[in-house]
Amino acid sequence: MADHGQRNRPDPDKLLELTARETRGKLTVFLGAAPGVGKTYAMLLRARRLKEDGEDIVIGIAETHGRAETAKLLDGLEVVPRRRVTYRDRALEEFDIDAAIARKPKTLVVDELAHTNVPGSRHPKRYQDIEELLWQGIDVWTAMNVQHLESLSDLVTSITGVTVREIVPDTVLKRADEVLLVDLPPAELIERLKEGKVYLPGNAERAAEGFFKPANLTALRELALRRTADRVDDQMIDLLRQSAIEGPWATGERLLVCVGPDSLSDKVVRTASRLASGLNARWLVVSLTQTSDAGAETSKRIDELLDLAERLGAETRRVIAQDFVEEIFRIARRENVTQIVVGRPKSRRFANPFRRSLPDEIIKRFTDIGVHIVTGEEQGGAYKPPSMRKRSRRELAAAIAIPVITTGMTTLLGLGVSDIVHTQNLSMLFLVAVILSAMISGRLSAVIAAGLSFVFYNFFFLEPLHDLSIAKPHQLFSLVIFLAVALMIGDLAGRLRDQVARSRNQAKNTQALYEFSRKLSGTARLDDVLFSTATQLHSTFGTGVTILLPGDGDLSTQTAWPPDLTLDGTDMTAVRWAFEKNERAGHDTATLPLIDWQFLPILTSHGVAGVLGLFMQDRPPLTENEDRMLIAILDQTAIAIDRAQLVRENAKTTALQESEKLHTALFSSLSHDLRTPLASITGAVTTLRQLGDRIKPDGRDDLLLSIEEEAGRLTRFVANLFDMTRIEAGTLKVKNVPIDAAEVIVSSIERMKKLKPEIAIEISIAPDLPAVNGDPSLLGQVLFNLLDNAAKYAGDGPIAIYARQEDTEVAISVTDQGKGIPPKDLDKIFDKFYRRVKGDGRAAGTGLGLSIARGFVESMGGTIKAESPAIRKRGTRFIVRLPRANPTGEAA
Amino acid sequence: MNQHRILVVDDEPQIQRFLNPALTASGYEVILASTGAEAERLIATSAPDLVILDLGLPDKDGKDVIETVRAFSEVPIIVLSARDRETEKIVSLDLGANDYVEKPFGIGELLARVRSALRQKAAGTSVPSRFEANGLVVDMAKRIVTRNGEEVHLTRKEYQLLVHLVLHAGMVVTHRQLLASVWGGAHVEDLQYLRVFVGQLRAKIEDDANNPQFIRTEAGVGYRFIAE
Repeated sequence: MADHGQRNRPDPDKLLELTARETRGKLTVFLGAAPGVGKTYAMLLRARRLKEDGEDIVIGIAETHGRAETAKLLDGLEVVPRRRVTYRDRALEEFDIDAAIARKPKTLVVDELAHTNVPGSRHPKRYQDIEELLWQGIDVWTAMNVQHLESLSDLVTSITGVTVREIVPDTVLKRADEVLLVDLPPAELIERLKEGKVYLPGNAERAAEGFFKPANLTALRELALRRTADRVDDQMIDLLRQSAIEGPWATGERLLVCVGPDSLSDKVVRTASRLASGLNARWLVVSLTQTSDAGAETSKRIDELLDLAERLGAETRRVIAQDFVEEIFRIARRENVTQIVVGRPKSRRFANPFRRSLPDEIIKRFTDIGVHIVTGEEQGGAYKPPSMRKRSRRELAAAIAIPVITTGMTTLLGLGVSDIVHTQNLSMLFLVAVILSAMISGRLSAVIAAGLSFVFYNFFFLEPLHDLSIAKPHQLFSLVIFLAVALMIGDLAGRLRDQVARSRNQAKNTQALYEFSRKLSGTARLDDVLFSTATQLHSTFGTGVTILLPGDGDLSTQTAWPPDLTLDGTDMTAVRWAFEKNERAGHDTATLPLIDWQFLPILTSHGVAGVLGLFMQDRPPLTENEDRMLIAILDQTAIAIDRAQLVRENAKTTALQESEKLHTALFSSLSHDLRTPLASITGAVTTLRQLGDRIKPDGRDDLLLSIEEEAGRLTRFVANLFDMTRIEAGTLKVKNVPIDAAEVIVSSIERMKKLKPEIAIEISIAPDLPAVNGDPSLLGQVLFNLLDNAAKYAGDGPIAIYARQEDTEVAISVTDQGKGIPPKDLDKIFDKFYRRVKGDGRAAGTGLGLSIARGFVESMGGTIKAESPAIRKRGTRFIVRLPRANPTGEAA
Repeated sequence: MNQHRILVVDDEPQIQRFLNPALTASGYEVILASTGAEAERLIATSAPDLVILDLGLPDKDGKDVIETVRAFSEVPIIVLSARDRETEKIVSLDLGANDYVEKPFGIGELLARVRSALRQKAAGTSVPSRFEANGLVVDMAKRIVTRNGEEVHLTRKEYQLLVHLVLHAGMVVTHRQLLASVWGGAHVEDLQYLRVFVGQLRAKIEDDANNPQFIRTEAGVGYRFIAE
């Protein structure tokens, strides 16, 4: 039952995707099998119909290829003017994306999805333009031929023999909201072609002859039909999921695709993609390597492969393992894989007949999982082993110059010492030259040095001299031995050098990363984190760095190093792109590739936190290693940003908790201080009413007196609360008049005596006490509160009030002889609702008196402080200091 | 005349100030305590017939006093508590306090509770065989309940519930105590049972089940059977 209910609930992820799509524009793709089937015509025809229905539909770009019947359809349709660009002295017209966005129609027609933009455009590819339009909320209609789909490109090449250059990722079509198939039987298409109704770009005409063969067209048509049918399937499944209709829609198939750096892997990935879309299965592509420090070429190759897989809609994972089969087995079990796809090269030149290939091992290991084997030939051209990597011209020059120099020097030295050293031993000197070359510039130099040594030694030192021929057979033998030894030593030394260089480089990177993360771990403030990151990246890559964070609606530079770097409007567009799309933008990327900056999103666990910019104008593109370093640093930064934000939130939470505590204190104080007098009054009144006649007269009087006293207590408490509220709300009206402090002191003592007649108060007021500036009633309340407080804690000793002049101020002190206050609590006693514990363990007072006293004194421009112990290790003294009234005030 | 002795435990002098004359005037002998320790000592040594206990004491929690006292004495305890301290009331009652009065209170209310508690104490452990109030008769010997002379048919649980309430007439009985005595210790959390059965019982014995005269709800705490 529960399971049933669960299944009937709409899949929340699917609904989310749907709402995301609702704010996005809708993409409609007119899919054709080949050029000439009439996609543009069909699209425009439909656009016209919609326009007639009053829809806001605009043509962004439509290629009529000069055909009248198509051009006629454009009549009466609004067309966005094209952008004129000059590229290599040729005037070209391009689709104007900015004008289209500015016009912002409901629906925009943008023909030729697979088009490649002129260099310098915002995006290199038109499908990226369209992505941006959709993102702006514009519905887009576009057209493409099935051959441009990335996952089909190799298949199309093998069917038609034509290499497809303009490629559209499968995800574009997969994400399209609607795919319309524009179909034309091959025979009719060929007929149209013959009539000249199909436009082909000039350079394609020759290819067309091979291309437009019935067999090819039928195959392409089948591909297009099948792709559209797949789409219908997907839509059906989406619909079922969104509306929670039960059905056998989940195939539950999951493919595991194993790839390596070999050239066959491309084919493996493409084949797996087709298989996955046919099975409607999720697929996971895993790259397998044996060590983490695979050469730069290998890891670049793997990156490309996994990128391709992701574009085709796969999940990807990099795996480093010693035992591939075991690792594949583990992943397959964990991910509930139902089928495995793996490649097997057809001919392996150095295949070991005793070792089984990976596919064989897999087949042996898995008994319950289907294994697909993709066969093919390794194409030597596609993948170069690391040793064949290209050298820069400078490197090459050094590799040749150094062995020439070392062997030349050795020859000169040898000629100098040939009289005293046996010719045989001179060969040792040449070995030194070979090793030196190897150590200075690597293995190629060592090989060259070995060759040169062989020649020079023979030419200058072996009989017959100055001739490359050899007289004695044993010399030939030693010469061959020498060459072999030189080559071996040179190779070893060169290898050693490469390894040392590599590990030194790695150690440097690791050290830098370690120091960076240590630096970051010590910083909790966001600003510090960003600054550390910027300076670290600046020193690592030797280029300008900027970090932008969102705030107040837009991203703004938080840190830049050097600090005077600025970004222009185009840069900011790339920044926003990187931030909102969570992908790289700017220099050397798919978006705005010609600007000087490259921007990378900083991805934290809560989404994109900001954008990092690297100034790339003056430096070569990032190498594989640098890129990895950059990403490692960004990851560290993201963690630190996360942490900084957590710290900030934590502080906020703590503050909230504090205020909550205060509220609890307020409530407990209010409930106790209000309830006790109320309980007394209620009790006394009901007693009088119900039992009055049974109580003696003096008992009745006492009850009445208690009512009066408790009512007074309530009144004072409520007055205190009002005072506190006025202080806090800032609505306290403070008079600023000269007041005679002595008078106020006496009147507040009288008020106190009325409340507590038994209290003993000593007064000492300086006879010439000047007037102070302030509010007499506020000062009176302050002194009363201080006296009240003293009375609570004084014990039996008398309370002393002193008033003295101190420079421009008048100091009034109230001192009790109670137990005093521990120094750590002295700061807190003025806090609202802070109450010390009375001698009997019970909290005393309302916790407001001193707080109000401070509020009043400060509002009169004075200060108040507490000292403890006051006299002989006992007591507390409160000192109020108020400014003297000015002479004019005195005169008045 | 056998004068009852009441111990008032409260640290607020102004509360003692009216309780003392009021209780004296009502014919009780009053002794006073302002701390928990003093209260425990006086209960042990002065044998009061009833204790009025404020839960907020300077030296210890009033609930601890109840716990300590219940270890050696069955003296009725009436707790003085604030209205918003619901859990405090329930815990006190479950610890063995007999009743509570919310502050602020009228003296009449307190005196009524005092009388109920003292009556309960006088009844002692001997279970009365018959109870009568306002036309409702519960004959525990014959297990017959009549309302204005007509027999009321109660199920076994309803009858047990009624008897438990009637035996504590005038006093509050917590949900937990009722559930434990009628349904057993395993069901002390099953408030729903209780609500249903109290509803049924009211429908059978009250004139107007929506405005009950016998079984009063003490919100959040329990029920009280009114016999006066």
